[in-house]
Amino acid sequence: MAAIPAWLMLLIAPFIVLNAVIGMVTYVTLLERKFAARMQSRIGPYRVGPHGLLQPIADALKLMMKEDVVPTAADRRVYNLAPIVFLIPCMLIFASLPFAPGLGVADVNIGILFFLAVSAMEIVGLFMAGWGSNNKYALLSAMRAVNQIISYDLPFIFSALVPVLLAGSLKMSDIAAVQQGSLLKWFIFYPVIGQLAFIMFVVSTLAAENRVPFDILEAESELVAGFRVEYSGMKFALIQLGEYAHMIGSSFLGALLFLGAWSGPGPEYLGPLWFLLKAMFVFLLVTWIRWSFVRIRVDQILALSWKVLLPATLMLLISTAVVVVWRTGGF
Amino acid sequence: MLDVNNTTRVELDWSGPERLQMNMGPQHPSAHGVFRAILGLRGETVVDVDAVIGYLHRCHEKLSETLTYAQYPSIASKTDYVAAMTSEFAYVLAAEEIGKFEVPKRAQYLRVIVAELQRIASHLLWLGTWCMDMGGALGGGATIFLYCIREREDILDLFESLVGARLLYGFFQVGGTRYDLPDGWVEQCRHTLDRINSRIDEYEQMLEDNAFFLARTQGVGVVSRELAEDVGISGPLLRGSGVNYDIRRNAPYSSYQDFDFTVPVETAGDCYARYKVRMVEFRQSIDIVRQALDKLPSGPISSRPALKSVAQIRIPKGEAYARVEGPRGEVGSYIISDGSAKPYRMKWRGASFSNLAILPHIIPGHKVADVVAIMGSVDPVFGEVDR
Amino acid sequence: MASNSGATEITTVVGAVLRAMAATLKNLFRKPITVHYPDKERKYPSRYRGLLALTYDKDTGEENCIGCRLCEYVCPPAVIKVEMLKAEKRNYAKTFSLELYACEFCELCVQVCPTDAIVMMKSFDMPTADRREMLLDKDRLHKIGLDYEQSWATGNKLRDMQTPPKAPAPAHPKPAAAAAAVPSADPVGPRAETV
Repeated sequence: MAAIPAWLMLLIAPFIVLNAVIGMVTYVTLLERKFAARMQSRIGPYRVGPHGLLQPIADALKLMMKEDVVPTAADRRVYNLAPIVFLIPCMLIFASLPFAPGLGVADVNIGILFFLAVSAMEIVGLFMAGWGSNNKYALLSAMRAVNQIISYDLPFIFSALVPVLLAGSLKMSDIAAVQQGSLLKWFIFYPVIGQLAFIMFVVSTLAAENRVPFDILEAESELVAGFRVEYSGMKFALIQLGEYAHMIGSSFLGALLFLGAWSGPGPEYLGPLWFLLKAMFVFLLVTWIRWSFVRIRVDQILALSWKVLLPATLMLLISTAVVVVWRTGGF
Repeated sequence: MLDVNNTTRVELDWSGPERLQMNMGPQHPSAHGVFRAILGLRGETVVDVDAVIGYLHRCHEKLSETLTYAQYPSIASKTDYVAAMTSEFAYVLAAEEIGKFEVPKRAQYLRVIVAELQRIASHLLWLGTWCMDMGGALGGGATIFLYCIREREDILDLFESLVGARLLYGFFQVGGTRYDLPDGWVEQCRHTLDRINSRIDEYEQMLEDNAFFLARTQGVGVVSRELAEDVGISGPLLRGSGVNYDIRRNAPYSSYQDFDFTVPVETAGDCYARYKVRMVEFRQSIDIVRQALDKLPSGPISSRPALKSVAQIRIPKGEAYARVEGPRGEVGSYIISDGSAKPYRMKWRGASFSNLAILPHIIPGHKVADVVAIMGSVDPVFGEVDR
Repeated sequence: MASNSGATEITTVVGAVLRAMAATLKNLFRKPITVHYPDKERKYPSRYRGLLALTYDKDTGEENCIGCRLCEYVCPPAVIKVEMLKAEKRNYAKTFSLELYACEFCELCVQVCPTDAIVMMKSFDMPTADRREMLLDKDRLHKIGLDYEQSWATGNKLRDMQTPPKAPAPAHPKPAAAAAAVPSADPVGPRAETV
């Protein structure tokens, strides 16, 4: 590793991470489809490749070959830029994630801050998509989305800050390092605070990702795909890519903050594998919730956020601070 | 009123109340069929509903004047295609009433069994599609939808072994039924009913106390008792608003008086009340079928000779209106016969058609997302609406 | 809407959420009910109303159809067209065309046929890319009758099921043949076959 000049590392590492992320995103769609299918007494994709393993490739090929239909009255610049503006923050969050001690693109010392800030930037792309489509459904959906994501970013941030307080650092690898050693050191097992924070994190992630029960903005039964409705072909693929990338990024964040990142039995080089498994566990948890509930209305979503989650996470954060100071003998 | 021919582009004006006209068009994932609702929105609230129907009009009533009493029951299934047995039932009852034909006891019990099984199947479809509308095709709604369809497949298998068809039957004939039970059907039926009973427990487990479900359905689409009695709705829509009216109890037909069942009535009038009414109807229908299977008399299945030619069934001059309690409400058939083999005039009273009249009264004031919840709980089938 | 105004309300909400998730989890471990059609054949019940066909007499090998046109008259969408051919001992059908794409599969033609000539098959497998292939003429109808398995229902059996018994004969006219092939005690039916 030392022989490779730093500037070359700066080119290679992001390249590898980006490709890995894109590969993972495509196969995570298959995982979700098979998992959801099994919960619904059916099998998911089956015929394309052995047990459907080539289905994501087939989907990608199909989307690439589709005709790119642009509505005549759409605002072309905004419409065309929106998928890109949506995708970039979703990919950028992977830059700050360390996959093993020392293995990451840019493990900055404000890692959490970077992650949370950048992941909130997808709203811009989302609204651009809704606005540029010149479509009432898309516009309604985009407005709902802005409402929802802004409302839920606060509980998301507060619940993500609980592990930061417990670890005492904004740097992601520090937070992960504190949880190494034994199973009980994982923040999810921290008495009361850990579990509550994890639950609130999962709920906020669901909402920030527009997953059922908070997927009012893409409610097919009313809004027929919401802000994505006018996109077809590769632009649609980019939007899907961004959504799932954000989803996986949040899963990785959840695994890192609460489930101890790369801690696990066995030799050290298995660390990233454990990290991946834990991230998939968080992802499947979110998927399980997604496929079990009906969605709630937008005013109920906002009520839940401002009246329930925000006070709850705020109080949790304050009590975490109190507990931390008390434990370190500050009183 | 809404100007449906307005083709100019509307600029949203942020300085005043935003008024938007949104079309929930005839092609829509949750329109329950072909139904167009022109919603006038102010922000997210619906202020105006203009319902446009007629996309599925197939001239049933004219068709019935050209088809004989022997042919039409197979076609009658196609009005309410989700609950095909009840549609045929109404037509055949009307014809029998004019001609004063006796229906043998066994045929009556068979009709009851089949009608109640159809009610279960129709309510399963209602629950599945309603939850799918509310929960999304990529979400919890789809899960419940697939569970309900899995159960409905069992009932359709029962019908398939009885009649040979899964959706549109042709089971009823003037004077009785066309088919009798094959061997082993009774055991298969009992087994299916036990399974469905336990599966409904699962659905209730998933939905009953579910905070999200309750948030979506309680207080939504409230139909007051006065409104219900004024507008002329029927079925679970009526019984969810406190009116204790069920044709099987108030005007029993086909031996329904022999069976012991309760008619569920709820007073809240919202979507949740209608949900509870239908969930109880599930159990009661299962109970009725079990009672009918236990008490099934032996005997002929038709009081008229077997169908040998198309104009065989002639009905004397007269007119009659017969109604049955379908899963959606009162399905009625009014026949004027002139003594020949074809009716002179036949009129369908579609339950969903009259139920849809409630929409302009209950939707305004709700959000867009509630429109689908309300439409689902009204449970229209557009074959019945447009005929 | 769920609020944290009381601890009991929170526990109800959380309990309900967990119960719903438990129900989905239970289904995760159930066997899927998918039938791998067309790799696995679907078991059709004995009374299945499938494709239509004309039959030959089992004993003599002659065509059963006497060209009486009763099926043509009874068909609600009028898809059958028959021309009669008169001969010495009995009549035949000169031409017999059936528009399968418009057929309603109501089985009325089977019901009225006096000689059990037209029957329905226990199969529906006739996919085609050209609708004209579904305009069946007499030869194709006879061929379908030989290719697939016949359903239980024929005209005489259906009419015997319906006619009230004249004599103190069997309590209700239940044909013995039905015993053979009812999709039996397996209530899950063809869907027992899975991945």
